[in-house]
Amino acid sequence: MATSTNQEDILVRMHRELKAALEKEPSKRKWVMVIDLRKCVGCHACTIACVAENKLAPGVVYRPVLDLEHGTYPNVSRQFIPRPCMQCENPPCVPVCPVHATYINGEGIVEINYEQCIGCRACIVACPYGARTSDFGYTYTQDTPHQTEFIVGQEKADDYERAPSFEYGKTWERSSHHQSPIGNARKCHFCLHRLEKGELPACVTTCIGRATLFGDALDPHSVVAQLISQPNAMRLKEDMGTEPKVYYLI
Amino acid sequence: MLKKVIYLISALAFAFGLWGFYIRLFIGEKDVNYGSYVVWGLWVAMYLFFAGAAAGSYMIASLEYLFQIPLFKGTGKPALWCALICMPAALTTIAMDLGHWERVWKVYLSPNFLSLLAQMVWGYTLFILIILASFYVILKQPNAWYLKPLFAVGLFLAIFLSGGVGALLGVNASRAYWHIGLLPAQFPFFSLATGLALSMLVMGWFAPPDENRPRLLLSLGYLTIILLLIKTYFLWSDYSQSLYSGIPQNVAAVEEVMFGQYWWAFWIIQIGLGTLIPFIVLIIPQWAKNGIVSGWMGLFVLLGFAAARANIVFPALTIEELGGLAKAFSGPHLSFEYFPSLLEWSIIAGVSGGAALVILFGLERWFFNLPKEVQQ
Repeated sequence: MATSTNQEDILVRMHRELKAALEKEPSKRKWVMVIDLRKCVGCHACTIACVAENKLAPGVVYRPVLDLEHGTYPNVSRQFIPRPCMQCENPPCVPVCPVHATYINGEGIVEINYEQCIGCRACIVACPYGARTSDFGYTYTQDTPHQTEFIVGQEKADDYERAPSFEYGKTWERSSHHQSPIGNARKCHFCLHRLEKGELPACVTTCIGRATLFGDALDPHSVVAQLISQPNAMRLKEDMGTEPKVYYLI
Repeated sequence: MLKKVIYLISALAFAFGLWGFYIRLFIGEKDVNYGSYVVWGLWVAMYLFFAGAAAGSYMIASLEYLFQIPLFKGTGKPALWCALICMPAALTTIAMDLGHWERVWKVYLSPNFLSLLAQMVWGYTLFILIILASFYVILKQPNAWYLKPLFAVGLFLAIFLSGGVGALLGVNASRAYWHIGLLPAQFPFFSLATGLALSMLVMGWFAPPDENRPRLLLSLGYLTIILLLIKTYFLWSDYSQSLYSGIPQNVAAVEEVMFGQYWWAFWIIQIGLGTLIPFIVLIIPQWAKNGIVSGWMGLFVLLGFAAARANIVFPALTIEELGGLAKAFSGPHLSFEYFPSLLEWSIIAGVSGGAALVILFGLERWFFNLPKEVQQ
């Protein structure tokens, strides 16, 4: 069965809308993520893409996918709920920080200043979505064998882990246990460093079912603006008044 | 003999703690069992305990120097000394819990005063200065006119900081178990009870027996009983409300305390050792007047309050914020189950042992072993 070749791929459309949004002043755009739960197949590609993009250490996760089972046999179903940071408009994590290390930036994204953070984890406690994790300084290759005549060894294998990440547009090395982001709270930031370069967040581009959508909610013609006005759009724990900027289509 | 045993146990605990300090400061935080889900563990619980002991000890000292109650004459200086040592013990414990403890100075230079944590840091700093000033005044200028105003400010701070510690947990709407107005209200009572228990231990075991001591110990014992009853009332109202409300997060946390992995800490240490036994013993005047018995009861109440602090902190954090989170991703420190690691116990042993050694040394050297005319 032939499909229309004129129909623009949603990813291409979001990319085009992203470029247009970046032309505007930061305060005149509102980044929103929409996750279509009907399309999510629980492949965890977004989780892995996020880990790779942000060089996340063991125990640090920005976008796990919750795997829920409903019903009892024979009427059983599964539901997959990707859970990034909700980028709340009223984020409970911000007022509890004793040193202003976490804050809402000019375009509404909750950022962490790693060099300011003292690692008290009050923000992790305050988050009602469990969206923050603490970096305890692990590497995936630790405790693996060192080089022998048969294997390349830990030194070569952990090249990837020693490569810096580029969160918040800076270069973050992992060379000592005192160096940020080790010891800090960490979380999803909608791939700010990619947005600045005109690229969509890694989880969006990697989603095999186009279930994760992203864009500027203040552009009335954007895909996200159209979707979040639908009656089937909901947000997690809306009763808490946090005003998340991540919407789920159910 | 008792003193020697306590010195020995404290020294051993301190030595064990040195290993923990080395690991924590030079290797890192990997060997702890708290993590990204059970975010605060034993160190935070014990920080609450030591801070409460400091505030409570100051409250006891104010009975002598602010309210000038004759019965409590002689308890002020030792209590103030305990406050002075417990405060650094609390701050050391919480500093170990920080991912970047070397950046604490940022709380002074760029504080967010909306944050309870920042308020606490500034409050504690002021409180330590007030304790030091109080010490100086009672030693050097005991008849100065500003003694009472100084203690009034100190007492206000002790109450505010105790309540603030409760608010530090209570403001988190994300944790239904903590998010009740009652929580900050309870903490000043907990602090006073902890201070009383510490005073009972100090006066019972280390104060030279004189004609006033049995009456003092009896009063401390009765006050402790009253506060234990208040504590039990708070516990009952807290738990019964949580269970009646049926809010899943609340019910799960209370059930975790009573029947979960921490059941023994609740039933055996907090209720049995820390509440029932002291209640039964201290209500009998002959026993309450006995220094050795009184000291033991003080120790039991202290252990009970330490367990109570832990039972406030851990269980609320062992409940998933979102269903399915526990199994969504695996990795180190991503668990909703928690029992303190050897490193965590080591630091607590070191801080407790060190604090006990300094308190004992000070009591012996400056407060209890001097000839009477020098003390006066």
